[in-house]
Amino acid sequence: MSKLSNTSALNRRKITDLFGQSISWLFSSITIAVCFAIIIYLVIKGKNKLSLDFLLTQPAATMDQHKSGGISTPLIGSIILTFIGIIVAFPWSLSTSIYLSEYSERNPVAGFFRVCIDILAGVPTIVIAIFGLAIFSNPQFGFLSSMVEGVAGARKAFGRSFLVCGLTMAVMVLPFIIKTCEEALKAVPASYREGSLAMGASKWHTITKIIIPSASNGIITGVVLGMGRIIGDTAIVWLTLGGTLRMTGHQPWWLPQNWWSALTNTGSTLTSYIFYTSPAGEVDMPQVAFAGSLVLIILIIILNLVVEFIGKSKSIQKEQ
Amino acid sequence: MDKSICVRNVNVWYGDNHVLHDVEIDVMKNRITAFIGPSGCGKTTLLKCLNRMNDLIPSFKMDGTILVDNEDIYAKKVDVLALRKKVGMVFQQPNPFISSIYSNLKLPIRENFPKMRRNEVHDTIINKLEDANLLEEVKNRIHHSAMQLSGGQQQRLCIARALTINPEVILFDEPCAALDPISTMKIEDLLTSLKEKYTIIIVTHNLQQATRIADHAAFFYKGKIEEQGPSEEMFLNPKSPLTQDYLHGAFS
Repeated sequence: MSKLSNTSALNRRKITDLFGQSISWLFSSITIAVCFAIIIYLVIKGKNKLSLDFLLTQPAATMDQHKSGGISTPLIGSIILTFIGIIVAFPWSLSTSIYLSEYSERNPVAGFFRVCIDILAGVPTIVIAIFGLAIFSNPQFGFLSSMVEGVAGARKAFGRSFLVCGLTMAVMVLPFIIKTCEEALKAVPASYREGSLAMGASKWHTITKIIIPSASNGIITGVVLGMGRIIGDTAIVWLTLGGTLRMTGHQPWWLPQNWWSALTNTGSTLTSYIFYTSPAGEVDMPQVAFAGSLVLIILIIILNLVVEFIGKSKSIQKEQ
Repeated sequence: MDKSICVRNVNVWYGDNHVLHDVEIDVMKNRITAFIGPSGCGKTTLLKCLNRMNDLIPSFKMDGTILVDNEDIYAKKVDVLALRKKVGMVFQQPNPFISSIYSNLKLPIRENFPKMRRNEVHDTIINKLEDANLLEEVKNRIHHSAMQLSGGQQQRLCIARALTINPEVILFDEPCAALDPISTMKIEDLLTSLKEKYTIIIVTHNLQQATRIADHAAFFYKGKIEEQGPSEEMFLNPKSPLTQDYLHGAFS
């Protein structure tokens, strides 16, 4: 009998193989289906409400879904928070990652640093939020929000404002940006460092002029991922930005001279807006909640596309 | 003849691994000195001692004296950055930075001569590209990415980059190992023309290359210099039996 002919053992292996392949195909399809189901469901539920008007008007204080206004202030709130968070977190995490990847090699303390950063990455955001609230309601930090007035004997800061929330967000995204930046810096070939150092360049010059530019794609990816996390976070907004849908600073809040007042007072983001308008929140307006979710998802998709695009441009650069 | 570098009684360890034993060699000014020998014999280690690039390796330990222009480069007061300006280096793999040809040369100039005026910087860049026999090939695209150059052109760019800081000595660590024969020939021509202005030390596996360009040669074997001297003499009448075997291709 030829060795190449079908035997029952061979058949059984073929069947096992087919079975394994089908199972893994099935589950990956379910994953994709869930992703599409969420997006399609949001589009169906939210598209009626979605319009330019919806994006550009403030939410109104009403129980009537048809008079509830739009999402201009939550949208702006999300953008302001992302901006503050990244402005603070980016230089902070870039310098940390420079230390970890370029300076710490002979130092056992760096291992301890990495463990701490991993732990920070695992801390639930609600815990970071309550920590932020506890810190920033100390009266010394009153300039970041406002002081509690009218309560006899109380000397505490309100502890809720865009600035407080942005700083807390920065702490939340630190470990993620540090990790991606460190990976990006480490991926720069050692030959670049040698080439620069061998020409009498100092280490700092090598880092700022050679290594960071070569790692810029990875660093930008880290920042964009960090933005995604800030936009999507609810717990920190809930505790440190407060319970109002509209901007509570001097009105109108968008006037240039009111900027500090707007930043040191409370407001909302898309995530907190969705919470308030959902059945679990104060008012039950599922239509606007879905429309808000749709806008949020679109923002997240855009950020993901940006990351994808940066990754592509990186591989093109390598081929050259 | 003037000595540029004096190596006396040098021993090197990487951790517990004793990689150079009592090495002594003199390097003459404006000559090409070749370090030859089988892989892992310590050629590159000695080369990297000369501009203290070994300092970057945590387990590196050295003992002995190395003089560059009669100055002990391992003395405490020595500024490593100043030493590396004086003793430049070109590596085995061409390592241009991910930027234009022009800024590959501009970066080291800006770092080392911060006061140089813009038009002087420009002139220096053009001169060094010419010195490296590269200007003719890239003059229409000096603001394009250095990554688009061929391997041989990239290596000549790296040589031009090493020239920008006006070193006295240039160390070459197997500069042609990653290149094709034609690019190799161009680099060899370049080295021969560069020795008028610079002292050159080259580590190479390629014996023909050493024969073609070197004035002096040192044969390394298991961390020791087995034989050294004017290269013609050494290649034609090697004294040590080990050198004879190596030159006849008994091992590599």
